Amino acid sequence: MLAQQYAGIKRDLDEKGIIFSFSGYLSEGILYSLGEALREKMTLEETDGPTVRRVFAVFVEQMQNIIRYSAEKVTGAREKPVELSAGMVTIGMEGGKVFIVCGNTVYNADVPRLRDRLEHLKGLDKDALKTYYREQLRETPEEGARGANIGLIEIARRASEPIEYDFLELDDGKSFFCLKARI
Amino acid sequence: MESLKLPATGRTPEVDFDFAQGVLRLSGESYPDDVATFFGPIFAALRSFLAEEGGHPIRFDMELLYFNSSSAKALMNIFQMLETAAGNGRSISVTWCYEENDDSMQELGEDFAEDLEHVAFTLKQIPADGAS
Repeated sequence: MLAQQYAGIKRDLDEKGIIFSFSGYLSEGILYSLGEALREKMTLEETDGPTVRRVFAVFVEQMQNIIRYSAEKVTGAREKPVELSAGMVTIGMEGGKVFIVCGNTVYNADVPRLRDRLEHLKGLDKDALKTYYREQLRETPEEGARGANIGLIEIARRASEPIEYDFLELDDGKSFFCLKARI
Repeated sequence: MESLKLPATGRTPEVDFDFAQGVLRLSGESYPDDVATFFGPIFAALRSFLAEEGGHPIRFDMELLYFNSSSAKALMNIFQMLETAAGNGRSISVTWCYEENDDSMQELGEDFAEDLEHVAFTLKQIPADGAS
């Protein structure tokens, strides 16, 4: 039963072309370790340096968005401050392209602003993204923003197709948010 | 002024600011888990260096292979400090290195250089070392 159950989960992931998948509490430490594994895997497959870096760049921004903005978080300090944020990250191959999907809960109150930002980014072509990036690079960050805006532009810029996103309303004043980028 | 030298770590670049020679260099990768903690001392050292009277020319070598978006903000801050100092008469040149075929890093160089008027900016292609 046990093996059958987990083999089923594994098969499901394999069929979707998923190479890595992590669900649970994410931290900067996990970002580092998963990121290294991702780069090693791609380098072993002889992916060229700039492509590896582009995939890695999207991965870092997606992970940091979860760590900073997940609505499900445990924070505290032992020897140094720790931020554990619930979410999931999935990396796979689809039609010859790498994709990265991140998912985490967000507060419903934050959904409209996030949706506006993503919708705006989705409609921009490469040149418009470049102009927007240049503007935001020189902006003073918004209160409490921790740089998210430029992070989202970075994701859209490194992606080879328009980003995809979705929200699913949950029942406790939160929604599940997903963002997919193909590189 | 004493040099600022920090060895590279898995997530932070090597910092080699030789203030006596006026040669400043950042190399490696930058995606620190806490950008403010990492860049704070760098800003502070650079600020006091630039405030010194009658300093000689400055060369800044930007040799990062990768930086995340929060580091981009910090780097912009450094560029703005250099531009202000150059506007006040200090001779400053910046060389932005990127590996051949790394269009992203080349384009980022252009993004950062866009509004530099007083800093002499050069984009320099370097051979890829094969490592990512």
